Formats: sequence, C-alpha cells, structure tokens
Amino acid sequence: MAQTNPPFLTGVPELLVLRMLSGREMYGYEIVKAMRLVTHEAIGFGEGVVYPVLHSLEEGGALKARRKSVNGRERVYYAVTTKGKRRLEHLSDEWKRVSSGVNSALNGAHGDPEHA
Amino acid sequence: MPDGQFESLRLELLRSGVTPLYVERTILELEEHYADLESACLASGLGADEAARAADAALGKDSELRAAILAHPELLTFRTRYPRVAQCLHSAATIGTLPGLPLLFCLEHRPELARWGAAVSVAATLMGSVLAALNWLIVLPF
Repeated sequence: MAQTNPPFLTGVPELLVLRMLSGREMYGYEIVKAMRLVTHEAIGFGEGVVYPVLHSLEEGGALKARRKSVNGRERVYYAVTTKGKRRLEHLSDEWKRVSSGVNSALNGAHGDPEHA
Repeated sequence: MPDGQFESLRLELLRSGVTPLYVERTILELEEHYADLESACLASGLGADEAARAADAALGKDSELRAAILAHPELLTFRTRYPRVAQCLHSAATIGTLPGLPLLFCLEHRPELARWGAAVSVAATLMGSVLAALNWLIVLPF
C-alpha cells in the first residue's frame, strides 16, 4: 500500500478531486485512477479516503452526486457545481501561492531572515 | 469479496455518530471500489488470493478510513457535533409537548371518550329523572 502523506497536505485531496472532476463527471474509482495518472503517483493515500472528501465537498455544495446503474453495477457519479468551480479557483490560487513561496525558499539563498 | 467485509466499519461509523446516509453511501462505494480494484488485479494476471490482498491494501485500513471520515465534522450527525445544543433542544421539545399531551390523548381516544361522554349523559339523565320522580312522589302527599 502506498505510504500516507503527512498532515500538512490537508486540502490537497480536495483540490485534486475538484480538478479531476472539472472536466467531466466521474465515480470514485475513476477519480482515484485519474489522480494517480496525473500526479505520476507522487501522492500516496489509501484509495478509500477519497470518499469522505467527496461527501464533504457534496455536503458543502461544491459537488452534486447522482446514482447510475452501469452494467449491473451501482455507481455514484460526482460532478462539480458552480460553487465547486469557484472553490477550485480559490484553492488553485492558494496552492500556487504556497508552492511559489516554498519553491523560492528552496531555490533562493538559505539564510538568516535578518540578513535577507 | 467476502460478504459483510465492511460491516465492522459500518457499525463503527454509526457508533461514532456519522450520518447514516453517508455511512450507507460510503459502504456502497467502498464495496464497488473494492470490486473494481480486485477486477483490475485479476485482469493484470494475479491469482484470486493475491488480487484480494492487493485490493485490500490499495483501499486502505479500516482505521485509516474511519479517521478520514471523522476528520470531516460536516459528515457527523447534529447530535454528535453539538451534543449540548441537541440536549437542550431535546429537553425544550419534551417540556413543550407536555401541555399538549392531554389534548393528544383526547384526539387519539376520540371514540372511547365519545362513548364515555354519552354513557355519562344517559346515566345523568336517568339519575336526574329518578330523583325528580322520587322528589315528586315524596313531596306530593304534603
């Protein structure tokens, strides 16, 4: 099983789920597969933990769910709402800001802030 | 997939105060996800036992799933999220319904109360008639 990421990645699953669903509606297994593909498996997690994230986003109105029977299997498909699109934009901006800060810290001169 | 594989998780979640709607949805989705993982493993050439083990591992441990669900308070019942408020509302509702209980009792037992009322009326009329007759008989000679 993939190693679980540390707590500071809280919020990243939400961002990734919204990003995956921004193109088309998907069910849980499809979302996880898409996430693994686009992140090149850089982010490890137990796949089941995607469901509380989906349910939480749905509860907050960022996603809407509908049940669909496909080849005799009961699937719950999720799609992004208008509120979800706004949330995705906000989270994306936040992530870019944070990652840009971390990158500049990693690439820039490491040193004493007093001499910066 | 073994039957009732997620039963202990389901019970744990319900006991922890997760909204039953989300518990049932989560279990349904986990079962489907497990079946997809197992099918993919079988298709990749793994044996049945290996496929089951791989699907189990990929899905994550029950404790991990439970912790992930409980980390979202919005998925918990109102009573679990706000126990004191729920207790106060429950008490207020109980006290509020007390004055209405006799009325509810009467509404629920309308036929019996109607029969009882009719019987009392008939008995009172009869008794009144008897007393009036006796009064007339006793008073008349004087």
